[in-house]
Amino acid sequence: MCSGESGTWLEGMESKQSVELWSVRRTYRAAAREMRALDGVTTGFEAGTFTAVMGPSGSGKSTLLHCAAGLDRPTEGKVVIDGTDLGTLDETGLTLLRRERVGFVFQAFNLVSALTAEQNVFLPLRLAGKPVAPEEIRTALAEVGLADRGGHRPSRLSGGEQQRVAIARALITRPAVLFADEPTGALDTKTSRHVLRLLRDLVDRRRQTVIMVTHDPVAASYADRVLFLADGRIVDELVGRAGAEEVSARMTSLEARAC
Amino acid sequence: MLRGGVGLSLGLATVRERWTAFAGSFAALFLGAILVSATSTALLSAGPRLPDRLAGAQVLVTVPAVERPEGNFSPDRPWSPEQVVALQDRLAAIPGVERAVPDRSLYAQPVVDGVPVEDHRGHAWSSAALAPYRLVSGTEPRQAGQVALDRSLGRKPGTRVTVLTARGPAEYTVSGTVDGPGVYLSDGEAARLAGGVRLIGLLLAPGTDVAAVDSAARTAIGHDGRVFSGRARVAAEPLEDARIRWVGMQALTAMSILAASSAVFVTASAFAFGVAWRRQEFGLLRAVGATPRQVRASVYGEALAVGVVASAAGTALGAVLAPVLGDLLVALGFQPSGFTVRVRAWSLAGCFLVGIAVALLGAWSASRRAGRVSPLEALREAAADERPIPLSRKIAGGLLCVLGLAGAAVTATAGGNELVSFGLFTAAALICGLALLAPLIAPPVVRLATWPLGRLRGATGMIVRESALASVRRTASTAAPVLITVGFAVLVTGMTATTAASFDAARASVIRAESVVLPDGVAGLSDAAAGVGGAWSTLPTALYRVNGEAVPALGAERDHLLAAGLKPSQGSLEDFGGNNIVVKPWVAQQGWGLGQVVPVGFEDGCTVSLKVAAVVDDLPNSVLVPRDLVRAHDPSALAEEAFILGKAPDAVPGGLGTRIVAAEDYARVMSDEDDRLTWIFTVLLVAVSAGYTGVAIATTLMTAAAGRARDLVVLRLSGATAGQALRTVAVESVLVVVLGTLLGLAVAIPTLLGMRAGLAEQLSAPVPLVLPVPLILVVIGFCLLLAAGAAVFTARRAVRSQTDRSGD
Ligand SMILES: Nc1ncnc2c1ncn2[C@@H]1O[C@H](COP(=O)(O)OP(=O)(O)OP(=O)(O)O)[C@@H](O)[C@H]1O
Ligand SMILES: [Mg+2]
Repeated sequence: MCSGESGTWLEGMESKQSVELWSVRRTYRAAAREMRALDGVTTGFEAGTFTAVMGPSGSGKSTLLHCAAGLDRPTEGKVVIDGTDLGTLDETGLTLLRRERVGFVFQAFNLVSALTAEQNVFLPLRLAGKPVAPEEIRTALAEVGLADRGGHRPSRLSGGEQQRVAIARALITRPAVLFADEPTGALDTKTSRHVLRLLRDLVDRRRQTVIMVTHDPVAASYADRVLFLADGRIVDELVGRAGAEEVSARMTSLEARAC
Repeated sequence: MLRGGVGLSLGLATVRERWTAFAGSFAALFLGAILVSATSTALLSAGPRLPDRLAGAQVLVTVPAVERPEGNFSPDRPWSPEQVVALQDRLAAIPGVERAVPDRSLYAQPVVDGVPVEDHRGHAWSSAALAPYRLVSGTEPRQAGQVALDRSLGRKPGTRVTVLTARGPAEYTVSGTVDGPGVYLSDGEAARLAGGVRLIGLLLAPGTDVAAVDSAARTAIGHDGRVFSGRARVAAEPLEDARIRWVGMQALTAMSILAASSAVFVTASAFAFGVAWRRQEFGLLRAVGATPRQVRASVYGEALAVGVVASAAGTALGAVLAPVLGDLLVALGFQPSGFTVRVRAWSLAGCFLVGIAVALLGAWSASRRAGRVSPLEALREAAADERPIPLSRKIAGGLLCVLGLAGAAVTATAGGNELVSFGLFTAAALICGLALLAPLIAPPVVRLATWPLGRLRGATGMIVRESALASVRRTASTAAPVLITVGFAVLVTGMTATTAASFDAARASVIRAESVVLPDGVAGLSDAAAGVGGAWSTLPTALYRVNGEAVPALGAERDHLLAAGLKPSQGSLEDFGGNNIVVKPWVAQQGWGLGQVVPVGFEDGCTVSLKVAAVVDDLPNSVLVPRDLVRAHDPSALAEEAFILGKAPDAVPGGLGTRIVAAEDYARVMSDEDDRLTWIFTVLLVAVSAGYTGVAIATTLMTAAAGRARDLVVLRLSGATAGQALRTVAVESVLVVVLGTLLGLAVAIPTLLGMRAGLAEQLSAPVPLVLPVPLILVVIGFCLLLAAGAAVFTARRAVRSQTDRSGD
């Protein structure tokens, strides 16, 4: 219904797209009924921008993120990351692409509990068989303000600290895109501001592409663009940095429409 | 260190951090390595051994051997007395041979202080030179009535000593003492009392070329015997030692295979649980860029880390324990005395590698499963398992069960050795089939077993019932090791007990006597002992066909045969006696038919023409020969038991080494003695396997309980006391054991019923199904204790930590 709005970016294709979704549909079979978690989403995420994805619970935000990041395969449609069509890759190819071009931060359970913070951070490099320079790890941890916690295991880190270690890990491979699913969902206001500023900083300083799912209008106000999802479709979009009140108002009207 | 090898180093890190999760696989591998290294070390040490008493003869000449099937230890036909003399002459003529000494052995058991001594082997004095044993004091026995004894018996030359012989007790004068075991008679007397000669030892002059004598001896005897020198002389090992060794080999091989295969099974189940428990972690690894291959490699890395440590420790401990096992085997009669364990470095290295291979093999399917975890599983709640049971699994399980039941039916009609093979096949098919179908069978059984729990007022029952039903797969797979433990215990003990009972049934049906004379501390009943109180007995011996093949036979008396009421199918028992014999139908079919006169070799090497007087179906042995004929040709033959038809004499004459038991106790006494070894072995087998699967039970329950820590915390938060939460866990594990026990019985009972039917048909007598209930209850109790203990132990931590947190 709002595809006209979401199609606006198609005209100005000259700027580079980090991630493109073409008519992506993802359905689940539950109790012999077909459940459309994503119902034909077409959109793109420009390099060096910060996008927030919002919407009511069950609207398909996480599904969108998983499909865009190559964690899950769409039932129909096409996903392109950094110029590569994911549909052409096999499981290993997809893994390699994820390892090299994509970083993730989940809401919880981000770290391998058997490994120290440091080991968790360089895990993707180890998996890729790349040499790891110790100062690189230290810099990465210092960037998220945890320079002195490298030797600690996750069980000795707070939720916010774990989240920041996860961000450091997600960035260690210099990915084309960073995906975050409610990264501040479990954090208090102060810690979540810290994490959000960190993300914003990455976009501004390193021209990092960031796509973040959130329920929090304040978190969304750190983004350059806000996508609104309902029933598996993109129903609205705010372009340019918006205030938390504006985002909040859009959400409220969205929820009202849904009722 | 920072580059490459992610699999191994990630595996190592995980093992270091989560050693508890690997305790199960470690224990399984450790125990397995101990068993494999101890048993294989013993197995490799168990070669044939040259008896000490022949060690001094550098060349041994033995009778020709007939081809025997595996596990058959019937004796070889001895040389005839004339042959012995001729061979002795020919061998003594070889240059370098000082003497050719025929080895004559007989039954002679000295009685010291009223008690028969253990060693009952008598020899001709000349054979003492084969060891050589030398006189320590006195003189050699030169004439009948003189004896030289082992000095450790403490008899002085010139004193009198009673020696039990096959005829009865006899008085001897000690002529001298020797520095080795045995009883030595004068050559003349020994030649009369001993059976035939099967071995001639050559004593060489110092400095003689052994190889030259060896080949000269071969030429000298041609086809009349075999020649051994050097290490090859172990072929002269006594038949009884060879038989014991063979039995021991079977036992050890079975134990090694059992140890290795249960190690694979237990390790596999431990790793499978570890993987199921850590799906989220594997999902995370996949999400951050680990390929399925790398995930698999990390599981193998864990297996390798655990395998190296457990295998090294277990192998080392096994090597230390091997000599203890060796002594145990000798004590149990699984190895001849004199057996010593030698620890070899290369066999230990082999065991170490086997241990690692077992670890990797055990991790194989777990690693495949880990590799299939999708990256999205990092985000999901630990899933209650709702995956349906694949059709292929249902079909495979169903087929195996049908195959198992068919096996039971076939067992019912099988005979002999096939009976056991079919029985094992049945059990194996049923175990695999039920393990596959367990998730299908579990829900109705759980529902039935927990029905009363659901009615109870408390919450425990409801929670237990619902959670067991919700995770059918978890319930089924935790029940699997119990299934195997109980199934195996019931099967093996039931098999042994039922087989023993069938022999009792067969034996009891033969006896019509009031009481039975049995040997007491002696090798067998002498003629004097067997005749106590008018008892009658049979003399076991061997006959030899012209081709050298041995036929077991019994010496019997006609009156007793007639009294026993045996019905000949051909001929008449009246004609038994003299040179007339009675045979079983299978012997008649092999050329010894009714009325035929056949040349038959006896234990003393003589050949006598015997005539078949009757063919009887239910003969106690293949051939019956008149007793006095046996005695004449087998002077050392001893009866195993004697039957008294009338009233037992009030007093037994002393010094004969006998005791008299009532007929009704006889079957039990005999089976006690016969089956003691088998029973010990069975219990050992059950203990080892239960110890093993016990590890699997503990691991699976610990892992299952750990996986449910979150549920327990929620339970506690919703108001359950710590006690209630733990009780839930305990009851749940009891439920799992009940389920496993029922499935185990479902495996064992059909198999046993099939075997019983087979035995009954074989013996044409009803055979009871005997289940050693106390032992089985012990095994079930052990499972219960272990399961509940492991689960509660693990859950306590979750419950405790919750209490701690809510406390502050
Ligand atoms: N594995 C699955 N099987 C079946 N249905 C699923 C599965 N995963 C998601 N769904 C369904 O797809 C829809 C979208 O789910 P999704 O997780 O994307 O929602 P969401 O917008 O992230 O919600 P929330 O804000 O609550 O996290 C939901 O209705 C959900 O029930
Ligand atoms: Mg979501």
